[in-house]
Amino acid sequence: MPPRVQTGRVSNTLLPYLTTTSSSTTSSLPSSSSQCLRQFSATTASQTKLRRQMFEWLSTAGAGLKHHVPGETNYLTRLKQGGHDDSNRPFPNNPNFISESILSEGLREEIYKRVVTQKQSLRAVSVELGIDMKRIAAVVRLVELEKRQRSQGKPLALPYARAIHEMVPVTPLADKGERQQYHESINDLPAHPLTGTQIFYPVPESRSFNRVEAGRVFSGAPALTHEEAAEIHHPYDLAQKVIEDPKSIGWVGKGEKARQILQPADVRIPHPHMIGLERDRIAHPNERHTVQHRHAERLARQESLEQEARQRAQARRDASQTTVSPTDSRFDYRIQDTKFTKETTGANGRAPWAVGRRYGVPHNDRTRGTVKIPTRVDA
Amino acid sequence: MVLRIRLARFGNKHNPFYNIVVAQARSARGAKPLEVIGTYNPIPKRPTNLYNENANARPYKEVALDRSRAQYWLGVGAQPSDPVWKLLGMGGLVVPKPTTFHKA
Repeated sequence: MPPRVQTGRVSNTLLPYLTTTSSSTTSSLPSSSSQCLRQFSATTASQTKLRRQMFEWLSTAGAGLKHHVPGETNYLTRLKQGGHDDSNRPFPNNPNFISESILSEGLREEIYKRVVTQKQSLRAVSVELGIDMKRIAAVVRLVELEKRQRSQGKPLALPYARAIHEMVPVTPLADKGERQQYHESINDLPAHPLTGTQIFYPVPESRSFNRVEAGRVFSGAPALTHEEAAEIHHPYDLAQKVIEDPKSIGWVGKGEKARQILQPADVRIPHPHMIGLERDRIAHPNERHTVQHRHAERLARQESLEQEARQRAQARRDASQTTVSPTDSRFDYRIQDTKFTKETTGANGRAPWAVGRRYGVPHNDRTRGTVKIPTRVDA
Repeated sequence: MVLRIRLARFGNKHNPFYNIVVAQARSARGAKPLEVIGTYNPIPKRPTNLYNENANARPYKEVALDRSRAQYWLGVGAQPSDPVWKLLGMGGLVVPKPTTFHKA
């Protein structure tokens, strides 16, 4: 049997359909090219019903979607329902999917200006502009990268970026004096895996049981004593305590299974100080300035504490590490002080956490029965 | 028998990694040494920070060293091999060897 080698002429058969505007050319094309399309078949190739319907749709209802209007989304839902506001729902059969807006160029530049030029903290910028702290950090890194690429003369995909910004919903930067539109909710918290279990935990009626205690139950920690529990009037007190001293969170478990006691959401959210602000607002509804002042103070306090912690960690790293820059080498050498003792390498010198590769211990990827994919994610 | 402070190669093909070990000079490279006193990763790493102050930072190689143990073994007469001599010299534990070539 001769090989069914296709000729070069068939390669772009779909192209005329997609670029065509009138239905007359679509119907004429298959008949003219049918011979070279299916050399091995005696019958003429006809379009399937679905294909014909597709081209009909492309030339009638779908023609309106060919070009987008800048500043508006160009989704299929535009055709289906005229009355509803479905401009940010791309899938007609999945109304639950909403395409989220992206940062505008102006907002992006504003974030960079506030963080890098004005040296504001990520936390403060996040609260003012209503953008997640991780996104703020990412924007700063990416703008930095873009600036470097510009300085190196590397090409940027600017027409692409411009087109995307025209086609998807965008959060604009507010004009001066106007209130900035929040981009996303900034205090979201992922569901902690520990809270997925159902626990039946009998509690005496005389005892208080709030989310602080529930967290301890979930992590299997002993209950708070009455004195300790009495000190916590509101879970936000605990949040303040943790901000002051992050090491005040207790631990349960031993060795590799040790983990911190699950804290209430008031402590774990990205911006616990916002709870303080809201409580102040409710307690003193008529003293706006005092409330704002206290809020600013709390923010500054948290910022300075975090800054101190960062500096301490950096100093600790620097103290145990010397960097040597030999003149006759292209590389620096970072010499890290280590202690190879029984405590650091284990009793037999082969502890898994020991520095360096160990003798007689097969590498993990060759050990039989070792699960290579991560089995748990620490949250 | 002579004690040597030398490198023992670990890691995979094209991915070298060395333990800095104290061992009998005649023992095999992969044999269990008297003691592991450090590690040396010869694959250079780039500083990952994107900010401008580190843009021109040189790539670096990582060395981990237990200084007190190295000093002890040097004190009792262990002889570093040439590559280890270079590393210990940079750590300030031995006097660097003079290079055999001089740049003009």
